[in-house]
Amino acid sequence: MGVAKLKKAELYYHKSVHDPIAAALQESGACQIISTLEAEGEFHKTPAEVDALISCTEDKLADVRYLNRTLTPHYVDPIPALDRMLGERPDVTMTELAELASNTDLKALCEKTRAVEHEAGNVRLKLSEARLNSSILASLSFLDYPLSIFTEGTQTLTALAGNIKTDNIPALRATLSEKFSQDTELLTAPYDEKKDKGQEVCAVIMYVRSIESEIRELAAKNGLSLIEVPASFALTPAEEKEKITASISELEAEDLKLTEKLKALAQENMLTVQKLSDYYNSLAARYNGTAKSDETDCTMLTKFWIPVAKCEELTAKLEAISPEVELIFSDPAPDEEPPSLLTNGDLVRPFNILTELYSSPTYRGIDPTPLLAPFFWLFFGMCLGDAGYALVVFGTILYVFKKYKKMSLGVKDFIKLFLFCSVSTFIYGVISGSFFGNFIDSFVPVLVPLKNSLMLVDPMTNPMQVLGISLLIGVVHLMFGLLIAAYDKIRSGFIFDAIGSNLSWFFFIVGLCLMGVGMAGMLPAHFTQIGQAMAIIGAVIIFFYAGKEKKGIINKIISGFLALYGSTSYLGDILSYSRLLALGFGSAVIGMVINLLGGLAANIPYIGWLVAIVVVIGGHIFSILINILGSFVHPLRLQYVESFGKFYSGGGEPFTPLTLSHEFVNVKA
Amino acid sequence: MLGLSLALFGAALAAALAGIGSAIGIGVAGGAAAGVMTEDPNKFGSCLILQALPGTQGIYGLLIAFFVLNKLGLLGGAGAVDLTWNQGLQILASCLPIAVVGWYSAIWQGKTSAASIQMISKKPEAMGKAIILPAMVETYAVLALLTSILMLMGVQVG
Repeated sequence: MGVAKLKKAELYYHKSVHDPIAAALQESGACQIISTLEAEGEFHKTPAEVDALISCTEDKLADVRYLNRTLTPHYVDPIPALDRMLGERPDVTMTELAELASNTDLKALCEKTRAVEHEAGNVRLKLSEARLNSSILASLSFLDYPLSIFTEGTQTLTALAGNIKTDNIPALRATLSEKFSQDTELLTAPYDEKKDKGQEVCAVIMYVRSIESEIRELAAKNGLSLIEVPASFALTPAEEKEKITASISELEAEDLKLTEKLKALAQENMLTVQKLSDYYNSLAARYNGTAKSDETDCTMLTKFWIPVAKCEELTAKLEAISPEVELIFSDPAPDEEPPSLLTNGDLVRPFNILTELYSSPTYRGIDPTPLLAPFFWLFFGMCLGDAGYALVVFGTILYVFKKYKKMSLGVKDFIKLFLFCSVSTFIYGVISGSFFGNFIDSFVPVLVPLKNSLMLVDPMTNPMQVLGISLLIGVVHLMFGLLIAAYDKIRSGFIFDAIGSNLSWFFFIVGLCLMGVGMAGMLPAHFTQIGQAMAIIGAVIIFFYAGKEKKGIINKIISGFLALYGSTSYLGDILSYSRLLALGFGSAVIGMVINLLGGLAANIPYIGWLVAIVVVIGGHIFSILINILGSFVHPLRLQYVESFGKFYSGGGEPFTPLTLSHEFVNVKA
Repeated sequence: MLGLSLALFGAALAAALAGIGSAIGIGVAGGAAAGVMTEDPNKFGSCLILQALPGTQGIYGLLIAFFVLNKLGLLGGAGAVDLTWNQGLQILASCLPIAVVGWYSAIWQGKTSAASIQMISKKPEAMGKAIILPAMVETYAVLALLTSILMLMGVQVG
């Protein structure tokens, strides 16, 4: 339990066995290679043999990445995304992958794909050009002249086309006829003066070549934005349109054909590409790992961290590969900071992720997981707090476990977390009388006596009771945190600090609580006196400890009072636990509302029962999802902010061993 | 009937203001999520969770509104209870915490969610921290919900 003890391993081996040794280290999944670069702080030279392997692998990897990137958008994965996430993927061994790699001509496949992709690119370029031309033709469709008038013109005449706002047309027409009445003609697309006011329409000016520059100037002045008529246009717009429509449909057919070709390529090769992606990524990780080794002419030295529990297994494995290996284990030196690996039993392990989400503990620090697990479990149960919802979650998870056998450990643990928490949810649901909200009261009144006989608390009619319990749990949780902090300090030899900054607060707050409870008459009167004494002792220690480093009596007094004022933050922390009531209450009331709506829907004539069933089932599914989110986030906040704030800061580097890549397939050693 | 109107006004405020806040908050977060997903569509799952966080205020508002309607006997066809204007005003007051705090906290939670979404686009491994930051804002909505519930339970009607 806690942070795993690690050994520092130094592995000496002959260069000739580099490959099998590196593979064994990777396949064990228990070795985090130590970078000699970091250790010595100078430029590290990668052994030449490894360097060659890396560059060879990177070459292949570049091809695989290209294929992956190009073909994935065209690939229809036969495995649904959810199944994939839950581990339903092909199983392969590294040996099979190596065979596949040697039988696959990646270069040829890349070239084939590139050729199709290139062709498809060209077709799309032509297609977009054709579509642009077609839109130009559409705007010129009012012309009856051959379009060569724009591109070549006649001996004396030429023309220009452009878009112009309808408001500007009269002015342009007036100016043209006034200045060059004989030499120009203005044609515009038909428009309605009222309806198309302010719209742009296409206009064409035909003119005698000699006045070209004047016309262009005039056109620009009157707000005519020119359209570039493509040089390929020669026939009338209608004829050109016919031509271009034909070519567009041809290009579209071509594009479709090429896309189909890419799809076929993807369907045929994607599985291989995915397998090879994992294969070459594994190799790249492996060689980049041993690249951190030191070398002599014939031998290499690889250093890595390994959990103590795995040492023997690895030694046996390496010695089986070659007698010429020397493996030396040593304990981490006091000035070294090894990575931290959380090892917890089956019951606590699913909660590891909560600690890791915050920050891994340091190697020599406390692993808070076993300490947070029971509280998180309880909090989640109180927040979701519904026996019916718990059964749904429990059943769903059992089904998932039954159906998906190949889940990765991480996914499995995360799901297990909710499996565990559904148990506390069920328990709290039973004792607070919540089963799909007030389902029992609304629809099966027969069971009401049974429900009521199991109820210990009733948030609906007596919320103050549950509020009190929530705050009490808060006090326990916070005090627990303080005691751990004190323990941690005493362990490291800071007994004085443990008393001054942790135990003092523990006495103070527990004392105050005892006083309060005693005065309320819930406990015998002498508890009041004990509480009073504890609170005074605590307060006195807090007061004096705060001023210990301050100079001058006034400064000491001021900092003492400031420290006592810090009790408001404890008050805030404790009140924060009222969310346990609020969220539990929230899910119960949402459930109640859904049942109520279902009951109202049942009054609809004829189909009422159907609507009611849909409302109740759909509503409760929604409620479960939204409430699970809340019930996960809020207990987590209580852990991270209220509890971890007292004793835990993390800051460790998580243990990241050299492993095989599992992005697309399940790779076995 | 003034009492009933005041009480209904309170219920309406709770559902409407908290709902408006959630809608704005989710909208802000959704914009950020869409931005992140244009780069990496695989982040849909985590983005959706972060986007959903400011949605709870709307639910809290709805919850209080139903609570009031139930208290007034307006659900289930039992007929409205008689309310003095004073009682109506008390119910209206009870709705205000979740109405106002729900409204504002959802907007700010949405902004925090949006920032968190930006964060996981760069550092997907920081999902835990990204969820906690918006949840810090929600605390005050939870406290307001609690206040509203306790106040409503204290108001005697009928």
